[in-house]
This record gives sequence, C-alpha cells and structure tokens, in this order.
Amino acid sequence: MLKHLSKTFKRTVLATAMVLGPVTLASAQQVELTMYYPVAVGGALTKIVDGLVDGFSKENPGIKVNAIYAGNYNDARIKALAALKSGKPAQLSVMFSIDIYELIEQGAIVAFDDIVETDDEKAWLKKFYPALMENGITQNKTWGIPFQRSTIVMYYNKDAFRAAGLDAEKPPATWDELVSAGKKLTKADGSQWGMMIPSTGYPYWMFGALTKQNGQTLMNGSGNKTFFDKPATIEALQFWKDLGSKEGVMPKGTIEWGTLRQNFLDQKTAIMWHSTGNLTKVKSSAKFDFGVAMLPAKKSRGTPTGGGNFYIFDKTTPAERKAALKLIRYMTSPERTAEWSIKTGYIGTRPDAYETDALKKYVVEFPPAAVARDQLEFATAELSTYQTGRVRKLLDDAIQAALTGSKSPEEALTSAQKQADRLLKKYR
Amino acid sequence: MSMARQTTLFNRIEIAAAWALAFLWVMPLLYALWAGFHAPEYATRFDLFAPLTLENFATVWEQAPFGRYFFNTFILVTSILVMQFILCTLAAYAFARYEFRGREVAFALVLLQLMIMPEVLIVENYSTMSKLGLVDTIAAIGLPYMASAFGIFLLRQTFKTIPKELEEAARLEGCGPMMILWKVYVPLARPTYLAYGLVSISYHWNNFLWPLIITNSVETRPLTVGLAIFGAPESGVDWSIISAATLLAVAPLLVAFILFQRQFVQSFMHAGIK
Repeated sequence: MLKHLSKTFKRTVLATAMVLGPVTLASAQQVELTMYYPVAVGGALTKIVDGLVDGFSKENPGIKVNAIYAGNYNDARIKALAALKSGKPAQLSVMFSIDIYELIEQGAIVAFDDIVETDDEKAWLKKFYPALMENGITQNKTWGIPFQRSTIVMYYNKDAFRAAGLDAEKPPATWDELVSAGKKLTKADGSQWGMMIPSTGYPYWMFGALTKQNGQTLMNGSGNKTFFDKPATIEALQFWKDLGSKEGVMPKGTIEWGTLRQNFLDQKTAIMWHSTGNLTKVKSSAKFDFGVAMLPAKKSRGTPTGGGNFYIFDKTTPAERKAALKLIRYMTSPERTAEWSIKTGYIGTRPDAYETDALKKYVVEFPPAAVARDQLEFATAELSTYQTGRVRKLLDDAIQAALTGSKSPEEALTSAQKQADRLLKKYR
Repeated sequence: MSMARQTTLFNRIEIAAAWALAFLWVMPLLYALWAGFHAPEYATRFDLFAPLTLENFATVWEQAPFGRYFFNTFILVTSILVMQFILCTLAAYAFARYEFRGREVAFALVLLQLMIMPEVLIVENYSTMSKLGLVDTIAAIGLPYMASAFGIFLLRQTFKTIPKELEEAARLEGCGPMMILWKVYVPLARPTYLAYGLVSISYHWNNFLWPLIITNSVETRPLTVGLAIFGAPESGVDWSIISAATLLAVAPLLVAFILFQRQFVQSFMHAGIK
C-alpha cells in the first residue's frame, strides 16, 4: 500500500515537472505588462480596450498584457502612484494628459526619448498632431503619447437655426456672429436659450477655448507660469460673463456640465459647447437635425485639447520598456487609432489615421467627425502646470466668481494669478 | 385649552418637518426610479404617461459583469462584518471590564483611529497588502477595516451599561469569562450589533476608492467599481443609464432594509446611534 502510494506520488511529481518545466522556461522569456486605463466617457469602453489588447496579444505571444480599468482620471493617478510606492508598479498607464508635471516631479515616468532607439521608433514620435503633443512635451522631451484625446466643438441645432431664420449651413464663425445668432435663437418665454457654455466640472477647459480665441494662452510650456491676469484673458472672461448678463443669450450664473448634453437634446438650448466625447451619444439620441462646427473666433479660432496620454513608468526593466513601447505603438497605429476613434468618438491622434479606409469612409458618412480634426490646427494645450490641481482650482473659482457676479472678471483673475504665482515660484 | 392647541400646533410642525426631510431624502431615489425605467428623452422631463422600459437595465447589465460584482460585494461585506463582530466584541469586552496596565492609553489610541480618514492611508495600506501578497484579493479590500475603532467604541459603551450584577450571577453559576461574554453581554447588546451591522454593511457596500485601487480583476472587484464605468466625467452622464445601474446596485440593500425596517429602527433607538 505504502509502496503503491509513493509510486503514484513519484509519478505525479514527474508528470507535474514535465508539464510545468516548459511553462517556466517559456515564462522566463515572456514579458508581463500591467497597464492601467481610465474611462472618462462612459459605457463599454472597457470592452473596446480589451479587444485592442487581445489583438496585440495574438500578434505578440511573448508579451502578456493585463489591461486594468482604473476609474476616472483622478482614480487612475492615485492607483498608479499607490502601486508605484508599494514597489509593485504597473509598467504603463493611460492617464490625464495634464498630469505630466506631477508625474515628472514624483519621478514616476520615463521620457520616450530615452526608450526609442531605432530610426523607425524615433520617427514614430513625430507622427502625431503637434497640438496633441503639446501636453506631452516639456523640458524638450516627450513624456506622453496621445491616446484618448478630445477637443471642444460647437454643437448646434439646425432645425432651431432654420426656425429662427438663420442659415443652418453657416454656423457662427466669430464672437459677434455668435452673439447675434444667439439673440435670434433665444426665445422670450425662456423655452429655448441661444447657447450654453458649461461652467461647472471643467470651467478652466472652456475658458482655455475663449482665451485662445482671443489670442492668449493660459500658461507657458514649462508649466511654471500662468497668464491669468493678461488683458486678453480678462477680456475673454468678460465676454463669457456678458453672454449671460449683458447679451442675454445664455442663462445667467453657472451652467451645469453634467446635464448640458441632455439640455441640448431636449432643445432647451440651440447651441452648446462641449467635448467631442459627446459626438457618438448626440448622434444616437438627437431627435432633430444637428450640426457640429469649430468654435468661433475673436482673433483666431481656438480650443484646448483634452483627454488622456500613454505614459511609461520609470520603475521598469529595459525589456519591459521595449514591450510597453511596442504595445503603445500597436494601440496608436493608424488602423487601431481609426477603430478607436470610430468606436469612441475620440479624435484620431495622427494624420495618417484619417488616410485609412475605415476612417475615410466614416468621415464621409459622418462629416462632424472631421470638424474636430480640422480644428486641431487652431488647438492649444489644456491648462497644465506644476501643482496642476491647485492651480486649476484657482482658475475654476475665479471663473465661477465672475460668472455669478460675486467678483469682477479683473478682480477674480488678478487674485487667481497672484496665488498661482505663489504656488509656482519654486519651479522657476 | 391653549396648551393643547399649542401642542397640536407643535406636533403639526414636527410632522410637516419630518415629511419635508423624508421627501428630500427620497428625492434622488425617486428620480433614479423615474430615469431608470424611462427612455433617455424623458430623463429630465416629467410625463405621467411616458412609456416604461427595461432597456436601460439591459444595457447596463450587458456592459459590466454585474452578477460577479454582486457576488464579490456580498462576500466582501459579510466577511468584514463577521470579522468586525468578533474583533470588536473581544476588544470592547477587554476595554469595558478588565483592568490592565495601559488600558487608557490603548483605548485612546483606538479612539485616535476614528479621527483618521481611511483615504489618507491608501498608499500605506497598499504597500502593506503588497508585502502580504494580497493585492487583488477580496481579503485585501476588507482587512484595513476589520479592527474597527467605531465598533470597539460603540460596543464598549454598551457593555459598560450592563449591570455588573448579571456578570456576577453568571460567574456564580460557573461561567468562565468567554461564557459570560457569550451568554450575558452579547445577547444584551443585540440592538447595538444590529445598528452597527447596518452602518458597516452600507458603508462597505458603497465604498469605492480603496476597492478600486487594491483590486485589478473582475473576480475581486465589487459593485461600485462596475458602477463607476457609467460615471462619464468627460462627456456628461447618461442619466437613464446611470440611474438604472444605481438601482441595480442598491436594490438588495434597499429590499433588505424595507423587510427588516422595524427591527432596524428599534435597534437604532436602543443603541442611540442617530
């Protein structure tokens, strides 16, 4: 009995060794990557990402990828940094493009310039739209590769335009046209407003558009100086405030970010400024003829970019970095970019993605998809500095104080600038 | 006469205020019911005869593995609760009835814990879990919460109100310390256990950030993480969808509460948690 047992035991051990042996050998050569990604636009994005990763795994059996959903941009940053400090970090992550300075300050990420080796890889860094790279480049190095990126566009209700005697194919292209169209579109009984620019959630983002249109950026390229009190910045905030309080084409006070799309779909406003991330949803839900246009111009057209970039973490082995680079190159290849853009509504991040058959066809079928792309020519970086959360809060508060009338635009912005200077002094 | 009138007037005001508060409390739930069962175009428009639909629920169910998430959340809250009951009972018993050196300091340290927001400890807890090799397990979600300072404090206060005579009587009957705890203290503190259990369950049912950070896979993640996919901070929320998802997530708790409502209310009155 004992003999018999030990025989079985030996056999089992032998068999296990035979099965496990090759596996351990294989895993020694295999690179395992953990990638975090946030979802900012809602819905089945996790499935799309899983699909992309599966495609990569099939082409690269030597690399195992765990793609992990990590909440919103804020959660993703906390998760990545917590994992980093515990010594069990991920190798790469999609995170908010404006987190770049915090990630650099914490020594969390490595520049792509230090990973690319071949000419092909170096050339790849130049394939993306320059406007989308602005948030990823500082100190003359590239730290972030654009992935889920958006801009602000103007959605307008063509039926409402026709009803008000406006040309539905000629959306307002300047601030003056915007105001005069808004006046015609605003109904006296309050059932329909001319336009709405949201001022909760991401006020600094909308404001980045207005200032860019007025020929002014909100910060420098080193992330250590803001331009909140420049005359053009103050003028832009005055204009925003006037839309509600002087021209009467927009509700006074603040406008909710989260319910704006529903207000547009319910035809409570004829025009809304919102993220391109809404395109797919507006397209599927609008019961009226709608159009999408570039934001209007004062001195020029303008919008900030938004959204998430790929980053590679510093605590990685050379083999992991190579594998991560390979994964990112796969995810941002023209074909994948086209697929991602069509499925999510995010903009294609590189010009050659729009040369693919899939995206070419999509743009013909659905011209609004091209508006965001064409607008990239006039785009600028989203507000991003060292201490970015606190600096952004200063600007958000200033904007809301001006819109609700508790401070004048000049007062609010001058004081925000002073406080931002205090925060950023040590980075100069 | 005038006294009586005054009391009725006061009563009426009190009842009206109670209704107003109850209404305020139930508003979000009513809205979620409305938006969840109607097509998106009725999300912000009230129309009594708007057609009802279950489509939002179907969409939600399809987009995330809610069945698995339900199971995980259930395992999570029950394991936390059981461990909390065991640890807090033993600790509270010691603090309430035993004299030992350093008792006051130890109890002060426990109370100090109440002042610390768990979120502050995320990074530290993460590295502890990682050293224990527990990252991405349900145990890791629960561990930091099991020795609950609130539970210890609450049970200690309850145990202190129990007359010593009962304990002495039990001792005369030949009960040892554990037997006394089990036969005398625990049964008499039942309302406190119920009330604390409710607070604990609803807290951990709803906890989001820590579970999201310490887990990576569908097999360990709770409901709230699944719910977060519908948050959509960038594009603005789809109200019908998120309402349906919220209803799904809170339904078991809500049903349980309605079923056991009377016991809960009574035990809250006894335990003095308000």
